[in-house]
Order: sequence, then structure tokens, then C-alpha cells
Amino acid sequence: MAALLSVENLSKYFSGLAALDGVSFEIREHEIVGLIGPNGAGKTTLFSIIAGSQPPTSGTITFEGRDFTRVKPFHAVHAGIARTHQIPKPFLSMTVRENVEVGLRFGREQQSRNLEKQAMDILDLVGIASRAGTSAAALSVGDLKRLELARTLAARPRLLLCDEVCAGLTESEMQSILGLLRRIQSLGTTIIYVEHNLRAIVATCHHVIVLNFGKKLAEGPPEQMQNDPAVIESYIGKKGGA
Amino acid sequence: MSAAAQSPGAAARALRALPPLLLLGLLAALPFFDLGANQIKVLFLTFVSIGASVGWNILGGFAGQVSFGFAVFYGLGAYTTAVGINQGLSPYLTYPLAGAVAAVASLLVGLPTFRLRGPYFAIATIGVSEATRVIMTNLEFTGGASGYRITEHVPFRQGEHYYTGLILAACAVVVSIAVRQSRFGLGLRAIRDDQDAAADSGVNPYTYKLAAHALAAALTGAAGGVYARYAAFIDPEGVFGFPRSVGILLMPVIGGVNTIWGPVIGGGVYGVIEEELVARFPQIHLLLYGVLVMLIILFEPGGVVGLLQRLRRLVTRSKVA
Repeated sequence: MAALLSVENLSKYFSGLAALDGVSFEIREHEIVGLIGPNGAGKTTLFSIIAGSQPPTSGTITFEGRDFTRVKPFHAVHAGIARTHQIPKPFLSMTVRENVEVGLRFGREQQSRNLEKQAMDILDLVGIASRAGTSAAALSVGDLKRLELARTLAARPRLLLCDEVCAGLTESEMQSILGLLRRIQSLGTTIIYVEHNLRAIVATCHHVIVLNFGKKLAEGPPEQMQNDPAVIESYIGKKGGA
Repeated sequence: MSAAAQSPGAAARALRALPPLLLLGLLAALPFFDLGANQIKVLFLTFVSIGASVGWNILGGFAGQVSFGFAVFYGLGAYTTAVGINQGLSPYLTYPLAGAVAAVASLLVGLPTFRLRGPYFAIATIGVSEATRVIMTNLEFTGGASGYRITEHVPFRQGEHYYTGLILAACAVVVSIAVRQSRFGLGLRAIRDDQDAAADSGVNPYTYKLAAHALAAALTGAAGGVYARYAAFIDPEGVFGFPRSVGILLMPVIGGVNTIWGPVIGGGVYGVIEEELVARFPQIHLLLYGVLVMLIILFEPGGVVGLLQRLRRLVTRSKVA
């Protein structure tokens, strides 16, 4: 299968400090790829660059065979790359449904018909249909995370970048979100999923990429990564103490 | 559910459209009653103010980009109409022209200043506005600081000005409603709430802000043109001065920023206060405005519309209780 996204030798420096240092990988279509690594490993920076929120210092990004290295975020969305934010960024003056309608109207398909029904379907999918008419400002943290995911899904992405959609959620909330990601994937969307919880990664992902200090440490099937000595070391430190 | 849910919605919409239409009819009929020339003048100036401030609200309210530089567009519109009439153009042709000139100018202003956000954008617009005033003060072609006179070889008919002003204000409100209900308006709201999230949802913040700026400038420019023909004499201090920018911004703030009717109500309040305040306290009326704005920001950032909504909530709550 051809690569949907390929990242080559990507680096990002913040005044000399390397947030990403020569990272390369490929994402094949219809996969859920886990992106893991300790705090500060560069996961969110990598997302921001792929989604066009910030430019890389060097390296290239290719999406569906086209150069996407310095794309603007709205162009990335129109082409089918959409991201969620770790800290949700809802449109607070709007209702929950209006938030989703922004994604529908401005996303990849630029919808203009049946907005209400489509929005309700998506809200139903993420489980907050009952809050459709509520102001986004009145939502709980968990519901805001769902809304963030709903608005991103409304853009009908081909590649969905999920940044810790489960952080701060309860076990059962997490299970329902993971189930949702698997369902979205089965409907034909490719997903890159940033997560700290290794159990969630193993249960959901086909493939795992491990970042540490801005470098790719390892990649492979989740079970293998779980037992990789280098990965374990990066997470809990060297055996026998530092 | 859609058919059943929509018919009361349509009825409610029709009901909501009724008061504005009644108001429009009333204002259209007013000249037939025995009003003094001064009252007609105050109303005319209020309509012009409403045209400009409803325009400003598209950028400053809907898109949340507060500009202190709308005198640029008001003044350019005024001078476009003035020069146009003196060149023999029909006044009614000069108003769209005034809007077009202002819209083009808004692109020149917007391209660099929209790189800035929030207060930095606001400060930049003050700079552009002052620079324009200085240039116009020194431009010989339009008489520089001593001003520019319009010579029309038709008798002055106040009624004609009154209706031109009324149509201008009505057009501005219609444009504002259309924007509010459109995809474009939704994009502006998204930018107002969170520009980065809007971009991540597929909204192009630069083109949307430029478009809102151009539309707002066009309405403000047309308002400047309508004013210029009435005044028959304009000078840079009057149409490009900083108080003009503040006035255009003040009306939506008084009435309620980011609403359809806020700038209209604010324009009405402003028109009346301006007439009274300037007449009674010519030295300190700007100071009084300052106090008024501080009170609004401290106690009711939603302006008159916000106050009305708060009162309505109080009434409904006391009914329930």
C-alpha cells in the first residue's frame, strides 16, 4: 500500500533547541498509528507542523504524493488533514452544534446542505448529541474533548491527528473514545494518535512510533514496542538507576 | 421533525422582522409630519452614523477586530463624493464609488495590519488613520487643511438627504443581517472566538478578515459620501480626525458590539447625546464619552442590547418564581 503521509528528515529548532531532530516515517492508509514518547519528546510539535500550524526548520512532508511541507492550516484541512488540540479550543460564543457546523462548512467537503442532521450525526457518534443546543462555554472538560473531536471529524479528514483525546477522561470515557477511533478508522480514515497511556495504544494501534528528545527512537507493532528496552528506558529510566 | 419544528420558527422569524419594518415605515413617514428642520437634521446625521457603525461592527463586532481607524474610510468616501460631484457626476453614482474607494483603501490598510492581533492591530489602525489625516491636510489638490467645498447647481432639499440617509442605514442593516446568517458570518464568528482554531477548522483568517474589512469600509465610505453632500464642505480635521474614528466605534459599544441592532440603537443614542452634549458642554463632551464607555465596559459590556437581554432574563425568571 502506498504511503498516505511521509515525513522526511523533519527538524524544528526553537532558538537553537531541537524540538524535532531529523525525524522520518511513513503512514500508510487506513492505519491507526500511535505516537508515543515522554513529555517534551516533540509529539505536539510534530502534529503542529503536519497540520500547518507552524513551519519546520528543515525536512519535507508529503501527503498523497504532494509536497505539504509549509502548507497553511486551512489548506491542510481542505486537503484532508485535521487535528484536535490537546487543550480543546472550542468556539465559546457558539452552541455545540454550531461548533460542529464550522467543521462541516469549512472542512474538506465544504458542506452546505443538511448541516443540522450531519452535525447531529457526528455529535451522536461522539456521544454529546444531548448537548447540541448548549453553549460550548458550558461544557465539562470531558465533553469539550468530545466536541474537539466532533468538530475535527466534521471536517471529514482523510488523516486525523488526535492529540491526547483521552487525557483526563475516566476509564469508561476512554474506552468509548477508543472504540470511536476504531470505528472512524474502519470507515476509511487514517489516524495518528498521540497518547501517554500505553495500554490504550496497545489496544488501538496497528503501528507505533516512539519519539524521545525530538528523535525517532523506534517504530514497530505495539506489542514489540512495549518490550523494546530503549522504549522502556526512555519512559522509566535505565535499569539499576541513573 | 423538521416540518413541524420549522413552521413556528418561520412564524417567529416573521414576527421578529415586524418591529424593524414598522420602524422603517415610521421613519419613512416622519417628514410628512410637521418636524422642524433641526430634528430632520439630527435624524439624518444619525442615519449616516448608523451606516458607518453598522459597517464597523462587521469587522469590529462579528470578526472581533477592533479598529480605531475607520475615519480613513469615512474621510475617503467623503472626499470621493465631493470630488465626484464637483466633476459633474450624479451624487447617487458617487456613493457606490465612495464605497469602492474605501474598500480598496481597506485592503491597503489590512494587508500589513492584519499580521497583528488584538490590541496591536488596534494601535496600528490609529497610526494609519493619523497618517492619512496628515497626508490629506497637506494635499493641495483637495485644498489641504482649509477644506474642500462642493458646488451643486441644484436647490438644497433636506427631504432628499433624509431619505438618502435612511436608505443608507437600512442597506447597512440588511447587509449586516445577511453577513450574520451566512457561511461568511460563521467564519467571522469562528475567527472572533479563536483565530487559530478557525484556521484549524478550514477558515482562512487572512482573506476573511480582509473581506470583512472591505465590506465594513465600503459601508463607512458610502456613509462619508452621503454626509459630504449634505455638509457641502469637508475638511481633513472633520472627516479624518481621530474623534471621527472614536465616534464610529463608540456607537456599537454603546448599543452592543457583535449584535445586529446594537450599532443601530447605539447610533440613535449617540446622535441624540451628540446633539445635546455638544451644544451644552462643547469643551468636555469627549470626556463625558470617556466616562460613558468606562461605565459600559465595567457594568454592561454588552451595551444597551446586553442590558435589555439582562432585563428580559430578570423578567422571565421572576415569572417562573
